[in-house]
Amino acid sequence: MNEVLTLRNISKRFREADGNLLEVIRLRQFELGSGEQTVLVGESGSGKSTLLNLIAGILLPDEGEIVVNGTNPTRLSEAARDRFRAVNIGYVFQSFNLLQGFTALENVLLGQMFGGGKTDPDRAIHLLKSVGLEHRLHHKPRALSVGEQQRVAIARALANAPPLVLADEPTGSLDAKNGAAVLELLRRVCTEGKHTLLLVTHDPQVMKSFEKVVRLEDLR
Amino acid sequence: MNLMKIVMKNMRQRALATWLTGTSVALGVALAIAIILIKQGVQQRFEQGTVGYEMVVGAKGSPLQLVLNTVYNLDISPGNISWKLFEQLRADPRVKLAVPFSVGDNFHGFRIVGTTDAFFKDFEFEPGHKPELAAGRVFTFTEAALKSAFQEAEQRAKEREARERGDEVKPAPAPEGTPANRPFEAVIGSIVARETGLQTGQTFIAAHGVQPSAEAKEHTENPWTVVGILAPTRTAADRAIYINLDSFYHIEGHELREPTAPAKVEEKDNDPDPGQVSSIVLKLRSPIHAFPLYRQINDRQDAMAAFPAAEIRKLFDIVGNIDRLLFAQAILVLVVAGVAIAVSIYNSMSERRREIAILRALGARRATIFSIVLLEAMTICVMGAAAGLLGGHLVVAAANGALYRASGFVIPAFHIQALEWYILSIAVILGAISGIGPAWGAYRTDVAKNLAPSS
Repeated sequence: MNEVLTLRNISKRFREADGNLLEVIRLRQFELGSGEQTVLVGESGSGKSTLLNLIAGILLPDEGEIVVNGTNPTRLSEAARDRFRAVNIGYVFQSFNLLQGFTALENVLLGQMFGGGKTDPDRAIHLLKSVGLEHRLHHKPRALSVGEQQRVAIARALANAPPLVLADEPTGSLDAKNGAAVLELLRRVCTEGKHTLLLVTHDPQVMKSFEKVVRLEDLR
Repeated sequence: MNLMKIVMKNMRQRALATWLTGTSVALGVALAIAIILIKQGVQQRFEQGTVGYEMVVGAKGSPLQLVLNTVYNLDISPGNISWKLFEQLRADPRVKLAVPFSVGDNFHGFRIVGTTDAFFKDFEFEPGHKPELAAGRVFTFTEAALKSAFQEAEQRAKEREARERGDEVKPAPAPEGTPANRPFEAVIGSIVARETGLQTGQTFIAAHGVQPSAEAKEHTENPWTVVGILAPTRTAADRAIYINLDSFYHIEGHELREPTAPAKVEEKDNDPDPGQVSSIVLKLRSPIHAFPLYRQINDRQDAMAAFPAAEIRKLFDIVGNIDRLLFAQAILVLVVAGVAIAVSIYNSMSERRREIAILRALGARRATIFSIVLLEAMTICVMGAAAGLLGGHLVVAAANGALYRASGFVIPAFHIQALEWYILSIAVILGAISGIGPAWGAYRTDVAKNLAPSS
C-alpha cells in the first residue's frame, strides 16, 4: 500500500504570552496508506487540530518531515504550498466553515477554484447529490440545517478529488443522530472516491466506528 | 466562480456599508463633474458669444465692463461716447460694419437696447448666422430721424437746465425732419417673448435703468409696440429687447450728456457733436487692422476699444482660481470617501478574518486574498465614480432649464470632457489606495487561529 501521508519526528512549539515556548506537538512516526480511514484520538488541547494544520501546510513544523502524496509541502514556497493544499487535501471542520454569502453549490465551487484548473459545476452538483443535497443546491448556509451544512462541507472537501481528506471533529457540532449520519456519509464518500481519511476526535462514539484508532499520546 | 464574483458577494453581504461608501464617492465625482461641465460650458458659451463681436468701443473705463455690457447685456454701461466717433469709425475703410448700441431702460429686468436696423441686416453672431425673426418684422432706421431725436434730446436738456435755474421755459418747435408720429417699435428676444408672453402687436411700458427697481420711473408716455420676435440665438440677444435708436433718444430722461471724458482738443472742431451712444460694435475687413485700430482708439481720451474674446479669457483666468478651489473641494470629498471605504472595510475585517482563513484553507494564496480586498475597494470606487459621472451630467441637464431662463444659454450636459477620464482614474487610484491597508491586513490573517471554532 502506497503511503499518502508520512510524518517523521514532527515538533511544533508556540511562544506563550510570558515568552516561554510551549511544545504542542511531538510526534515520532505516523503513516497513512492510500484509501485508509484512520481516527486520531486525543484529549482536548492535545494538539490534534494543530497536527492537521501542519499536515495541510497551514502551519509549518519547527522540526521534522511531512510527506503528502509523495511531496514534502514544507519545502515548497508558500504560494506553491497553497496550491498543493487545494489539489491534494480536503479539509472538513468541526464548525463547517462555509462562506455565508454563498450558496451550497457556490461553496463547493469555491473548493475547486484554487486548484489551478477551471471550476466544474457538473462535478460540484454531482458531489452535492452524492451527499443528498440535490434539492439544496442554491440555498445559503443559513437556510440549511447543521447536518446539511456539514454535508456541504464534505462535498466541498472532495471538490478537487484530493488523495487525503482531513476531518477535524466533523461531528463535534452535531447531535448524535446527525453526527452518526454525517460520519457514515463521510466514510462512504471517501471509500467510493478512494480518498484517504484522517479524522481527529475525542468522541468515543466516533472512535468505535473506525477499525484503525491511533492515540496521539502513543505517537510521542 | 471567479475573484470578481467573490468581490461582488462580499459587497452584497455588506450592502449598507457598500452603498454608503459608494454614494460618498458618487457625490464627490458628481460634484467634480458638475464643476467641470459648468465651468467649461459657461466659458465656451461666453467665448462663443464673442465671435460676432470682433471689437467693441465705448467710454474710457473697464474694458471688461464694456464687453459685459455690450456683448452680454450685463453690468452697467461705463458711459457714453460721441456719435461723431461712430460716424468716423463707420467711414473708416478698415471697418466693415459698425453697429451702435444705447442702453438705459429695462422691461421686467430684460434690457432694452437702442440700435439701428444694421444689427438685424448685417450683424452676424457667428459667420453666416444673422439674427433671424421668428415672427413679425424689424423696425426701420433712418439717420435723419436719429439726428432729429438727438436735437429733441438736446432741447429737452436745455429746458431742464433752464427749469432748474428757475427760468421760464417755452416749448420749442419740433426740429425739422421729426416725423408726425414717431413709431416706438421693438424687436424682442426669444426668452423675453416666452417669459413675458409678449406677442407682436402688443405694447409694453419700459422702466428707467438697466436693472429692475421698485423706484424706477416708468416711461408711461411712450409705450413700445412689439413688431418682431427673434428666433432663439443661444446668445444674450435672446434676453434683450431691441428698439430703434432714435426712439431711445425721444424718451424723457434720455437727454444727451457730455461724453464721459472730454474729446481731444484738436477734435473739438466747429462741427458740434450731435449725440452719444453707449457703445459701438465693430467688424473689421481684415484681422490685420485689429491692433492698429485698437491702439488708435485707445490713444483717444474719450473712448477705448476692447477685444471681447481677450477680455473673456482674462475673466476666466480670474474665475479659474475659484473653480480650481471648487475642484479641490470635490477632490477632498473623494479623499474623504476613500478614507470611508478604508474604514468600512477595516471595520468588517473581524468578521472577514474567518472567511479569509476558510479561503486560505481551501488553497487561496495570500496574494489572492490581497487582490480580493483591493478589488472590493476599487469596485466600490469605480461603481461610485460611474454613478457620480452620470449624476454630474444629470444634475447639469436638470439645471439647464433654469440656466437658460437666467442667462439665455445652456450647457451641453452630455458632452464627455477629457477631464472626466482623469476623475475616473483618480477614483480608481483612490480605491486602490484606500484598499491597500485593509488588503494588507487580510494578507497577514492568521489562518490557523481564525479557523478554530468560535465558542
